[in-house]
Amino acid sequence: MNQLIQDVRYALRQLRKSPGFTTTAVLTLALGIGANAAIFTLVHAVLLRNLPVVDPKALVRIGNTDDCCVNGGTPDRNDYSIFAYELYLHLKDNTPEFEQLAAMQAGGAAFTARSSKLDAMPKSLGGEFVSGNYFQTLGLQSGAGRLMLPSDDVAGSPSVAVMSYRTWQREYGLDPTIVGSTFTLNTHPVTIIGVTPPAFYGDRMTDSPPDFYMPFALEPLMGQASLLHRRNLNWVYLLGRIKPGTQLAPLQAKVSGSLRQYLATIPLYQKADEQKNLADSHVVLTPGGVGIANMQQNYSSGLSLLMAISALVLLIACANIANLVLVRGMARRAETSIRMALGAQRRRLIRQMLTESVVLSCLGGVAGLAVAYAGTRTLLSLAFPDAPNLPIQASPSPVVLGFAFGLSLLTGLVFGIAPAWVTSHSEPAEALRGSNRSTKDSSSLLQRGLVVFQAALSLVLLVGAGLLSKSLSKLEHQDFGVETENRIVMHISPENAGFKPEQLQPLYEQIEQKFHALPGVERVSLSLYTPLEGNNWGEAVAIQGRPEAGANSPVGASWLRVSPEFFDIVGHRVLRGRGITAQDTATSPGVAVVNQAFVKKFFPNGEDALGKHFGTEGVKSSSDFEIVGVVNNVKYNNVREPVRAMYFRPLLQVAKSSPDGETRSLYMSAIMLQTKGEVEGLESQSRKLLASIDSNLPVMNYTRFETQIAGQFGQERLIARLTLIFGVLALVLASVGLYGVTAYTVARRTSEIGIRMALGAARSNVVGMVLKEAMFQATLGLAIGIPVALLCVRFVKTQLYGVEGRDLGVLVLATLALAVSALIAGLIPARRAASTDPMNALRTE
Amino acid sequence: MIEMKNLERSYKTGPTETWVLRRIHLTIREGEFVTVMGPSGAGKSSLLNVMALLDDQWKGEFYFNGDAVHTMNRKQRAQLARQRVGMVFQSYHLLDELTVAENIDLPLSYKDIPKSERQGLVADALDRFNIVGKKDLYPNQLSGGQQQIVGIARAVIHKPALLLADEPTGNLHSAQAKEIMEMFRNLNEEGTTIVQVTHSELNAEYGSRTIELRDGWLSKDTAAVAVQGGQV
Repeated sequence: MNQLIQDVRYALRQLRKSPGFTTTAVLTLALGIGANAAIFTLVHAVLLRNLPVVDPKALVRIGNTDDCCVNGGTPDRNDYSIFAYELYLHLKDNTPEFEQLAAMQAGGAAFTARSSKLDAMPKSLGGEFVSGNYFQTLGLQSGAGRLMLPSDDVAGSPSVAVMSYRTWQREYGLDPTIVGSTFTLNTHPVTIIGVTPPAFYGDRMTDSPPDFYMPFALEPLMGQASLLHRRNLNWVYLLGRIKPGTQLAPLQAKVSGSLRQYLATIPLYQKADEQKNLADSHVVLTPGGVGIANMQQNYSSGLSLLMAISALVLLIACANIANLVLVRGMARRAETSIRMALGAQRRRLIRQMLTESVVLSCLGGVAGLAVAYAGTRTLLSLAFPDAPNLPIQASPSPVVLGFAFGLSLLTGLVFGIAPAWVTSHSEPAEALRGSNRSTKDSSSLLQRGLVVFQAALSLVLLVGAGLLSKSLSKLEHQDFGVETENRIVMHISPENAGFKPEQLQPLYEQIEQKFHALPGVERVSLSLYTPLEGNNWGEAVAIQGRPEAGANSPVGASWLRVSPEFFDIVGHRVLRGRGITAQDTATSPGVAVVNQAFVKKFFPNGEDALGKHFGTEGVKSSSDFEIVGVVNNVKYNNVREPVRAMYFRPLLQVAKSSPDGETRSLYMSAIMLQTKGEVEGLESQSRKLLASIDSNLPVMNYTRFETQIAGQFGQERLIARLTLIFGVLALVLASVGLYGVTAYTVARRTSEIGIRMALGAARSNVVGMVLKEAMFQATLGLAIGIPVALLCVRFVKTQLYGVEGRDLGVLVLATLALAVSALIAGLIPARRAASTDPMNALRTE
Repeated sequence: MIEMKNLERSYKTGPTETWVLRRIHLTIREGEFVTVMGPSGAGKSSLLNVMALLDDQWKGEFYFNGDAVHTMNRKQRAQLARQRVGMVFQSYHLLDELTVAENIDLPLSYKDIPKSERQGLVADALDRFNIVGKKDLYPNQLSGGQQQIVGIARAVIHKPALLLADEPTGNLHSAQAKEIMEMFRNLNEEGTTIVQVTHSELNAEYGSRTIELRDGWLSKDTAAVAVQGGQV
């Protein structure tokens, strides 16, 4: 122990003696370790962190996909991850292996909330319906008041809700009187019985955790179109705590059996051609410690890629420091030799040198934490813009601190081991003789090898960065088919405001009229949702005159309700027939406008779609809507996939074959405006206008259409930008490494260069000689890096859009970037070499 | 061949100016074998560097074969040195990573001479200095004397008119030194003008003329030429 302390003291003294070296090394390490710690903060929070609940390892989720939010029909591969509420009750009753089995709403919902305080304004907050045993399942204690109990989740019991601690803190300043007070949620009075514990952020990692948790029993009271008893609609996730000793495989088989038993009772699975689907229906049990792992599924490949890339950058930084340490080791060879001559063992010397490296890397690690903090903040703002409630902290947690410390130790060993070995193996007698006549030493090969390694790695990163940047550019600049200039999107919830279906027509008319009256507003539309906002409604289409589609037939189409000016605002062009007009009212014949993809999918043989009829409830409904127009394709959903078949219906028409099943779709959630240029104060005017119509109708979000579309590429942009930053960082590090080695070589070869110049070498000869060597290393790096980059492309292939893995342009650009950087890095010491004064050089000999 | 008029050289270190050559007036005719002597710090090597055209920070006039060096720019001086001057160093200054043949080829490689012609010239030099058997060896495989022979071969490969030698036998024992000096005498007899710097009286005897420097002043010249401007 004493020896270790002595080694550390000596290391610190040595580092203090070389402030230039120490500063360079610490800064390089800080960048490398900081970048890794920043990415790890995200990886830990999103992929690895368990829910802050009691014994998270005992939690098991029934389900393994990120299916959301309200699904009908059969799931992909008959794999159930999302369930009807009654199916939950059925499974709960039939699986005693679960100590507790809780259900939670798959897609959170926005609520209009108003506290009972005087002058309180309604706010749009997020809520989640959960089963009464939700908090018991998770083993949580309240942060204030009490948490929900099964007795609160019974029809007819007093209406209660639990507020999240963060909401209590953010919105109400931890006001203790909130607990026990009455809130109006969607016009319904609810008592806040308690607050969640401070660390709890819900049953899943999300950028918008719920503000309220409410019992399922309240669900029918909160809206006009309850899902609670819809046996054919799946909308809840299941998370349970298993009894100790329970084996998962038999339990999974049992739950699957129980699932099929329930499904057999619903009409969908009673059809003859659904029997195979019924027999195949199953669940997969997955560890539930991290909760519902939807974000994990969305971000895991991107974060893994970033982790790998940042590790490569750290490796390059390690190679740089190793080179610096080698140079220092060579400079201190006489000292090492004296130590050896005085009887120091090699092992002892290696340990001393490694201690120095580890001390250096730990200093880099400490500085890296500051870089990590700043980096994480930037990352979070890039990855999750507009997410004030994101339950991820930029300040390093103990786990991140441990990671940074472990990484620092490892880094110190990685960059310290080779130089320590080489330096400790110098011949003492030779070194003590003084200036060595030889122009070579054992370290130079290692140094050059490290530079080649850096060049190869940085090329790999540059190619990756180039591919991802090009892919992002193609994604962003593809033709979505939309017009975005002077377009505004805002969201509202008439359902939360308590409007009954029969009140909707006057409401929509009022909204359209009042917005039209605003100065600068040219067009106004209402719709169920808007393009590229992450929403989608889908139905199976039955074309009139065709037989009933079989199970698993590809007859799906997306759809939405729109008002007459919607097409013009979004940028849809009516190609044939007409658009939706003011004459398409609730009482007029059912009509639909379809897009080109719809025509291509359902009328592939050139049949005229105009005048044809279709429905969405099988053959019996196929006369519900007449196709009256065709519009061009516009992307509404996945920006990476072709445009789906879509149809557009008027705001309030219901299908005559099943008028009762369409209530939910009558509530428009989006208002779009087209303005004449920039209209000052439009947002506040819009909020006032809606409040003047109904005080419970707050604007849930207000954004420019182009901002909404740009939000679709958040993850791609984050990954492309970070990869580019890391690529440039790697290039800079590699160039600095090449510069360092070339400069060191030039310094060591001063006398040789002097001799050459004394023998007639011109300046250009010397520049050429030094550059040739530098470029040889860069070329070797390229020769290794290009095939490695081509091999590594497969790791990013899934992230690419419209770009081939072997993109020649990107490869050429990356190669050029590296070559030019190497040229510059080599030219500086080469020019210095050429200005060597032969007289001085010969004197140094 | 060489004519220096009022040539001076000094080094500035901070506010102090140290003079290493003072008002040198010197003429060296073609075919002479001149020995420069003097105590350490007298300016011998500085004078040799000026003659080798390695130094261009001096003042005064310097004519090389009638060409005014003092009016030439750096590039022209380098060109002149490449063509007309050869140098032999006390510590040989062979490049360790090059073989004997490659070391000898080095001065030729900096001229526009085709490789085949260079190979012929190198072969002649190896033959002339009797080191054919060592052409593929590296300097660290040779004795000091052998290394200096390679150094001389390298210095004369391009047939310089002026051969400068700075303490050429300083690192050698007497037998090797004698061999080297004999070699210089032969070269001189073949027409090469030689200027050597040495501390050795014995080596000086190989030369036809001895000049002596003290504190930068030309203090003695055994030739009939009168020392002008110097003082003893």
